[in-house]
Amino acid sequence: MTFTSFGFLIFFPVVILVYYCLPGKYRGWFLLLASYYFYINLKPVYALLLAGITLTTYAFTLSIARAKTDKGRKSLLVLDIIVTLLPLFFFKYYNFVNTGVYSLLDSFGIRWPLPEISFILPIGISFYTFMALGYAIDVYHEEIKPEKDLSVVALFLSFFPVVLSGPIERATNMFPQFKGRPRFDYDKVVKGFQLMLWGYFMKLVVANRIAILVHVIFRDVDHSTGSSLFLGVVLYPIQVYADLGGYSLIAIGAAAVMGIDVMQNFNRPFFATSMSQFWRRWHISLISWLTDYIYTPLSFNFRKYGMWGTVIALMLTFLISGVWHGAALTFIFWGLLQGSFLSIEAVTTKQRRSFFKKYNLTTKGWFVFVSCVFTYLLFAFSELFCGPIDSIGKAFFIIEKIFSNFISPIYFGNPSTIIFSLLGILILFLVEWQMEYLPEGFPFFNNKNWLVRKLSYAILIIIILLIGVFDGGQFIYFQF
Amino acid sequence: MQVETHIEKLTTIFREVFDDQSIVLNDEMTANDIGSWDSLSHMLMINQVENVFSIKFSLREINKLKNVGVLIRLIESKSTN
Repeated sequence: MTFTSFGFLIFFPVVILVYYCLPGKYRGWFLLLASYYFYINLKPVYALLLAGITLTTYAFTLSIARAKTDKGRKSLLVLDIIVTLLPLFFFKYYNFVNTGVYSLLDSFGIRWPLPEISFILPIGISFYTFMALGYAIDVYHEEIKPEKDLSVVALFLSFFPVVLSGPIERATNMFPQFKGRPRFDYDKVVKGFQLMLWGYFMKLVVANRIAILVHVIFRDVDHSTGSSLFLGVVLYPIQVYADLGGYSLIAIGAAAVMGIDVMQNFNRPFFATSMSQFWRRWHISLISWLTDYIYTPLSFNFRKYGMWGTVIALMLTFLISGVWHGAALTFIFWGLLQGSFLSIEAVTTKQRRSFFKKYNLTTKGWFVFVSCVFTYLLFAFSELFCGPIDSIGKAFFIIEKIFSNFISPIYFGNPSTIIFSLLGILILFLVEWQMEYLPEGFPFFNNKNWLVRKLSYAILIIIILLIGVFDGGQFIYFQF
Repeated sequence: MQVETHIEKLTTIFREVFDDQSIVLNDEMTANDIGSWDSLSHMLMINQVENVFSIKFSLREINKLKNVGVLIRLIESKSTN
């Protein structure tokens, strides 16, 4: 069962109904049962893994807090990190490392083959592993006291709105809410459903529709023209945004319906005017996790190297981000690219700021537009290495073909695909443009007029039913 | 007098690292108040503070810095010790 499966349409209303009918002290337990039911529906045996990581996290965090010396606390934290990361390594990176080690040994004439593993990656493992690690590190740094109630820790790691693809939440935010027994808040429930509705629009109308075209273009790059490949490059980030962004809104909305606040995961990323700004707006929960638990300690340890320390910390952080996304050289290359973009911006910050100030550029509309487009294209081309293409060579082949064969016929596929894609993108863009530049503009969902609100919901639902793609496959980030 | 010297030195550091001569520090000031104060420039500022005041921070102390006021008090306590 996932958010776009029929079962969820039954599951969610039932959960909400029972949740609010139950006395407050039983709601946490009910949510825990519902969350495990939700996860078991995917693959029962992987729920054991989730339970295992829950138990080890629970035990280690209590031990870390009880340790009498700082050396003892640190040792326990290191052990917890190793134990928590082991399943992720086993399922996600074993074959990649095995192949790499085998190739390396083979180049020295040593033949030492280890068996390959072909287990399917447990959905959500990259997400709840990071949540578990973040919690343990917070306990070590005394940001939060260890939770003695196992059910709270278990619910934190299995909470069904976020368990599959985030947002990657923090114990400091979620524990007080789980223990606080939120009351029925009508406005929050309405807001939650609004977010879910918009999330479904993004996923079903925008992401799934674009996916049809992008899939065809990238499936056979040898026969796709340069202009078609460029179209694929330009559309793919929108597909990813609508997919993960849509999922995130459904997750945040579902939590809000239950009175629980989950962090924002995207903030209109395509209005960013620099890569630094982009990475403050894109997959915010992952980037803030990496900033707090990887970048900050690294940059702290390298601080005596000044700007070069910042660069090293950035490169390592985004290398880890790339590795988190997948066990392949393409993802590592993608991570290093992002690190390079941010490093270049960091090193040239003062010069760029001085130049922009001299000509008063940041107030000029055309400059903002050009900056957005440039940033978007930079990200779009780099995104080739983060999923749609399975080799670095092929990605560079695509880039080379785009520039050498740009003036060529464009493949649009079925006319309805491109028309409905553009319609979905236009609606998405107009709504986000208004939110970015005219936040006080005409509200649809939040209009004081009852009729405008209801019409807005109705029109959006009709659009989803008419041009949504319901058999569009799983959410992209289930693979990570 | 010592506190005033600390604030003056810190103001110079902030203006230099964040490239903004108009910065005037106050206790409640945070990164949200200075456009160029982000995670990239934060450690540059911390390193500069350590060099100028001849003190050393721990990572835990850095993580607990909520605003400039907390930073000033931390500098005072480390300078006294």
